[in-house]
Amino acid sequence: MADSTSAMPASLQVYRYRAGADRVEAVIGTLEPDFPQEDLVIHATEALERETFMCYAVSQPDDFVADELCFVPQGDRCDILSIRTNGWERHHGDHRRSLVEILNNIAAAVACGKLRILDTNEVSSEVELGRTVVEYAIGDTNELQRAREAVDDVLKQAGLDDIHRQRTILCISEAVTNMLLHGGGRGQMVVRRLGDRLRFIVADEGPGLNFLNWIEPPSKGGQASMGYGYKIILDYLDAVALHTGPGGTTLLLDRLIN
Amino acid sequence: MLRTSIAQGPAPTVYLAGEMDLDCADTLREAVTEAARGAQMVALDFAGVEFIDSSGTGIFVRLALDLKSQGTPLVARNLSPAVRGVFDMLRVRELVGDEVFPD
Repeated sequence: MADSTSAMPASLQVYRYRAGADRVEAVIGTLEPDFPQEDLVIHATEALERETFMCYAVSQPDDFVADELCFVPQGDRCDILSIRTNGWERHHGDHRRSLVEILNNIAAAVACGKLRILDTNEVSSEVELGRTVVEYAIGDTNELQRAREAVDDVLKQAGLDDIHRQRTILCISEAVTNMLLHGGGRGQMVVRRLGDRLRFIVADEGPGLNFLNWIEPPSKGGQASMGYGYKIILDYLDAVALHTGPGGTTLLLDRLIN
Repeated sequence: MLRTSIAQGPAPTVYLAGEMDLDCADTLREAVTEAARGAQMVALDFAGVEFIDSSGTGIFVRLALDLKSQGTPLVARNLSPAVRGVFDMLRVRELVGDEVFPD
């Protein structure tokens, strides 16, 4: 496998197994041909029956290559995260984050329920929940500050304390920045009120997340992309949901309010 | 938006004010490049920075590493709480070296 994959970029793909089905479906990315369906079904079924997160190393052609399959039971379904690093431990030896660390952070966030991966149908219904508070389009980096100010106004009106307000603003800035850099350069930010929370929806119609993007020089201005945005988002927000595919990327960022 | 002003001298200080995000790269790099011309070192004063995200942090890290490789050390002073919190979370000290934070 090392020879056939060594030229491939690192990747994170997400599959889903629904209890009782005879196969898994791809939610992010495509099904890799060298993972037999029957094996995925067996392991997903085991994870569901044991109600336990399970992780397997698939191949280790070199010591630091961490190809992993993580099975995350979630009620009547099991999300399967396939992490392929193909030797990309640290890019160019500079300050950018280890790709392995980024992908493992995401897998851990799914495993502990902080991050939900949504399919097309789920994201369509989730973005309709609640009522819209603020909505506008963003198409340039000089609009980042305006977006943050709009979020600040909403959070102040909701009575959020200073620390959580600042952290939320930081997260929205990270999400909008990711959209501008990797989501086709433009998109939409919507704030909705749902019961006990504010939901910030950052959506684009770009090419979908390519996890390699995070450590490649971004297109605008040549700044280093540290790959930290998702770490901040996952650390600081109460719940996150992600849908990504060829039609674009949607992030749902939830902040609980009193 | 990021605003800059420079106090010239053999060890010039670039005073930063406003917000450091993806949009600040050109402003920050131009100011630091101007200050570093003929200087033995450059100080960045963060007292007026009200907001910084990972993009603004990445731009600072890149500048610090570039200046270090050119033999003109950069130091960061007067980190506001907002900046300090993000730098700590992103382990900036490990990336650029303790000597960048003499305070």
